[in-house]
Amino acid sequence: MSRLVVRDVSIAFGGVVALDGVDLELAAGEIRGVIGPNGAGKTTLLNVICGINPPDRGAIALDGVPLVGEKPSAIAAHGLGRTFQATQLFRGMTVLENVMTGLHGRLTESVLGAAFRSRRLREAEAAAAARARDVLAFVGMQAFEGRLATELSFGQQRVIEIARALISEPRVLLLDEPAVGLSLNRITEVDALMRRIRDERGVSILLVEHVIRLVMDVSDRITVLSYGRKIAEGGPDEIRADPAVIEAYLGRDLHAGSPAP
Amino acid sequence: MPALAGRRNVVVLAVLALAALPAMANPYILYVANIALIYAILAVGLNLLLGYAGQFAFANAALFGIGAYATGLFQVRLGLSFWAAFPAAVVFTTLVGLVVALPALRLSGLYLALVTLAFAQLTQWVMLNWERVTFGAGGFRVPPLTFGALAPALGLYYLTLLLTGLLVAAAWNTVRSGVGRALVAVRDSEVAAESLAIDLARHKAIAFSLSALYAGVAGGLYSALLSFVAPEGFDLFQMVVQFSMVVVGGLGSVWGSVLGAGLLVGLQEALRAFKGAQEIAFGLLLMACIIFLPDGLISLVKRRARGWDEPLRAPDRPA
Repeated sequence: MSRLVVRDVSIAFGGVVALDGVDLELAAGEIRGVIGPNGAGKTTLLNVICGINPPDRGAIALDGVPLVGEKPSAIAAHGLGRTFQATQLFRGMTVLENVMTGLHGRLTESVLGAAFRSRRLREAEAAAAARARDVLAFVGMQAFEGRLATELSFGQQRVIEIARALISEPRVLLLDEPAVGLSLNRITEVDALMRRIRDERGVSILLVEHVIRLVMDVSDRITVLSYGRKIAEGGPDEIRADPAVIEAYLGRDLHAGSPAP
Repeated sequence: MPALAGRRNVVVLAVLALAALPAMANPYILYVANIALIYAILAVGLNLLLGYAGQFAFANAALFGIGAYATGLFQVRLGLSFWAAFPAAVVFTTLVGLVVALPALRLSGLYLALVTLAFAQLTQWVMLNWERVTFGAGGFRVPPLTFGALAPALGLYYLTLLLTGLLVAAAWNTVRSGVGRALVAVRDSEVAAESLAIDLARHKAIAFSLSALYAGVAGGLYSALLSFVAPEGFDLFQMVVQFSMVVVGGLGSVWGSVLGAGLLVGLQEALRAFKGAQEIAFGLLLMACIIFLPDGLISLVKRRARGWDEPLRAPDRPA
């Protein structure tokens, strides 16, 4: 069954076509890698799905609920979480506060209830903190809850951002280059974390990534974009052998038009 | 173990001292304390908007004025009693604050500052030139307030103390809740806030209307304290005074704003004999704090004494 359905989505920025009729179906419990050369439209695809850039054409649905035309905050509330290429932790917050903020869509507090610190609010706050600690434990960062987000290393900030997206129990998680700039050890940890998010939390993951090793290793299926078009889709082995993919990445061999080795 | 000089002890002591003040102080000291409480309301409200929600707006002095004018005019022009005019004026000011929030849904940074500055100038212009309603540059007298058996100055002082206590507590509770986190999230990263189901428009509107509500309450009390309303108290220098209180006390710190308001009102009164010295002193203090104490005087307190930690932090400054 498909969780996230992207149907014939196109978007242009000032005449530059960033996505051209892209289709994509993300199944429940699937990790889908999205790869492609620079400028292929990978991040644009994420921004279109989460509502930052509404598409010019096409439809997007999460578990049958149409998303096009909704505000990003409303789309997030439908069960879509994401992280960013340049990590976007809240710099004025501790790690715990950052993760608790992820629960916003699930809190039903009123401004008045907050101002008077009602009993219901205090209970909700305590429950939110407990849930944030659970998620931090899940990603192995519980020791850092009191630290300021800005005091953490690059890789740690990435993991906290994932925890912040996970706390609201999204059904689909969009990860925008979670491995960029990380050491090999860290990449292995991200790999294992994604599998656990899928297996233990039942979250489907759409992974945009340049670290091909990671994508090939962790993805159930891979979608390849080039110049805004989908040029290939399939399991890691099919993609590795696909001549169109090899050509997109390496260019055509000068001799006789055969693909480069 | 609660620290002896921790926040809870200090706040309880300060409230007791303020409640007992009328028994010991002369009318002048009582008046200055009343002014300081009004500015504490203003600074805390402005900090919610500026320090927590990160909206760089210049409307607060004008909203303070609108609160004062509305409280006065509802009495003088409509014949309402203070007890009806004051709450009505607070609601009115809050609604105006919501209108000011509209451009903030599209603009930020410098552009928001410019639009709100224009709003402040427009408000001044209306106060000065719409004479049929506002009495123009000369201002107008407000009927003196009575509190039954209690002396008017005393009654107003206790009313101010009560409202300051309520509003500071409400702000403190708000920043310790999910609402406070959402405001800081909007300040620190709009895209990330939206990705966590935080509605930007809603939370900017919350921040603007909260600060307007605080300014409205402060304005109503101020008009009653002076028994007089005129345009010049609500000009750009008023905005500088409020900014100074927030920054000197500590951006993104409720208690810092209370501290900043108290200190700067004290400084203002100490320098009253030297005309022009107030502006210079405020400017120097503001610059010194921005350069040497970017987290405000409250950061000194936090460093020296235990038990002053607050949730959420000041906005990040570019290094």
